[in-house]
Amino acid sequence: MSPRSEERTKSNSFFTDCKILICVGGGGVGKTTMAAALGVLAAQSGLKALVLTIDPSLRLAQILGIEGCSDISLVPGQSYPGTLKASVVNHKAVFDSFVRRASTSPEVVDRIQNNRLYQQLSTTLSGSQEFTALESLYQSHTSGLYDLIILDTPPAQHAIDFLQAPQKLAALFSEGVAKWFRKPEAGRTGIVAKLLNSGTRQALKILEMLTGADFIRELSDFFMIIENWQSKLHDRTVEFQRLLVSPTTHFALVTSFEEAKLSEAQVFSQEITKSGYHLKRVFLNRAFPNWHLDALQIKAGNEKVVTEIKRLFFEWKLFYDLRQKLFELFSQKLPSGVQTYRVAEFIMPISDLNGLEKMALRIQEDS
Amino acid sequence: MTGQTQEIHFVTGKGGVGKSLIAAALALSKAELGLKTLLVELGELSYYSHFFHLPSVGYNPMPLSKDLDLALWNGSESLKEYARHLLKVEALYHLFFENQVSRSLVNVAPALPELAILGKITSSARKQGPPVPYDVIVVDAFATGHFLSLLRGPRGMAEAIRIGAMGEQSRKIDEILFKSPLCHFHIVCLPEELPIQETLELHKQLRTEFGVEARIILNRVVKTNLRAEDLKTLTVEAESSAFIEFLEVQIERTRSGLRKLTEACGHSPKQISFFSQTDPWALTKSAMEDLK
Repeated sequence: MSPRSEERTKSNSFFTDCKILICVGGGGVGKTTMAAALGVLAAQSGLKALVLTIDPSLRLAQILGIEGCSDISLVPGQSYPGTLKASVVNHKAVFDSFVRRASTSPEVVDRIQNNRLYQQLSTTLSGSQEFTALESLYQSHTSGLYDLIILDTPPAQHAIDFLQAPQKLAALFSEGVAKWFRKPEAGRTGIVAKLLNSGTRQALKILEMLTGADFIRELSDFFMIIENWQSKLHDRTVEFQRLLVSPTTHFALVTSFEEAKLSEAQVFSQEITKSGYHLKRVFLNRAFPNWHLDALQIKAGNEKVVTEIKRLFFEWKLFYDLRQKLFELFSQKLPSGVQTYRVAEFIMPISDLNGLEKMALRIQEDS
Repeated sequence: MTGQTQEIHFVTGKGGVGKSLIAAALALSKAELGLKTLLVELGELSYYSHFFHLPSVGYNPMPLSKDLDLALWNGSESLKEYARHLLKVEALYHLFFENQVSRSLVNVAPALPELAILGKITSSARKQGPPVPYDVIVVDAFATGHFLSLLRGPRGMAEAIRIGAMGEQSRKIDEILFKSPLCHFHIVCLPEELPIQETLELHKQLRTEFGVEARIILNRVVKTNLRAEDLKTLTVEAESSAFIEFLEVQIERTRSGLRKLTEACGHSPKQISFFSQTDPWALTKSAMEDLK
């Protein structure tokens, strides 16, 4: 077997039985870059791969050279057996487009777009970014154009946020809230007065005391309009859920080499497995650099300089030795069947496709 | 302790730059001055419980060390407390929060949780709602993008709702945040390309959108008197050259990062060393020494 085809087989097995790979992780762990590097690895192994991200800093677009592209684009400068496509999903556009399609009439579209709460806040609704991410994933998946889709989940404080988001959004659309505000008979005025349930009427009065009538008016309007989408949203979330628990949908947890992050990752790995999702891999990003830490060999140099370098060297060695112990403890406690990878820190930050290829190589080396 | 003199500090920055450590160090430095200090983290899950190995961290402040307490605040708890304070009648409060619909409404109504959190943080300063009896509040806030949306909440709400308690209070919160001398903003950064870029953008955004001058704190700086040129004079074994190269890059990045940040932000950033230890209190104390 030639070295090249051997390499191909090896990375092919990396994505065996995997059609969707979802990268989750807390803030600042390098999730986006990892998703892109995995995309490169997939394309190198002959797959038609798509990387989807919701990245407000547009960092991925810069690295991949697809800045300013609004749709799924072929990453320029690649020569792989497969293909690498990528898209930075425009959150507001996808969400608005879902709203338009889900609305029952043009009049409803007008009403929601004129609602002041929606105008101000549609992009910050709890769970809406995650919804958009899943909607893009769902559409790309059903298109049948790709062997593998890698989803870089929206920035979140904690890895677990992604899994809780659909429920949060579903709660927003839950029938109960809209009912609360609904006029008992169309055409009559006085939202509050006409409510039949007196407990709810009281509760709404209290909310009005706390916030003011103006707020309640906008809020009730908001909930009554979005009630229109409820059944469509419900159907969609069922589809999402089916996709997420499918055996060919794998989760990859990206985490950094820090005690608190590792301990958070451990809680997450247990949660996700319990919920019926398939966590297959944990990536410890920015782990040990590629330098040998056993000894420092300096043949010649100014004595003061050498002493200072040695001091710094031993400080770093201590830093990584302490973390190696934490990593060993972490690995022992992971659910069985989860593979861990340590992706060594790069001296220079990854800034282009070439950097991603180097990272893909490191991932492969560790597998 | 009055609302007029209470200091409020927000610590933000790109994810993974060490915001929480810096926030804890800042809070500890205030507590050591004898100021009664509250360290607050935001959201549903506690980071400090992992960091300081605590069994649990909740909405009500718990003691962390002398003159320093810790709490975890989220929107729904903040709103509940505010409602309880305002409604006074316990029965009314229960009526509201025990209604299942209003419970879920509180969690999903747009911007309500964010406003409730900022309302809670500024309640003493605004003399509105239950007082927060501390001299200093240090908020380990959200990362850049999420932090900006948090700050935009009150203004957006005041725009949307002009009349009534919601609009009125949103305007007051906005005033305390950006027009009073009580609030201080800190951006934590690393001597690396991406965090520096994000810091420069955030600093500019805070300045133009809110008229705020945020202080920059450069974390994990390799403090050494070595210059990049010194390293070029060495002859090293091949396997050690990667470390020397790494060191060179670190020194150069710190130098150029400091220059860029100083130029754009109009002050030289506070520098916090890179520490190898993992003990949380040793780390917090070392960072605190550097903050002084």
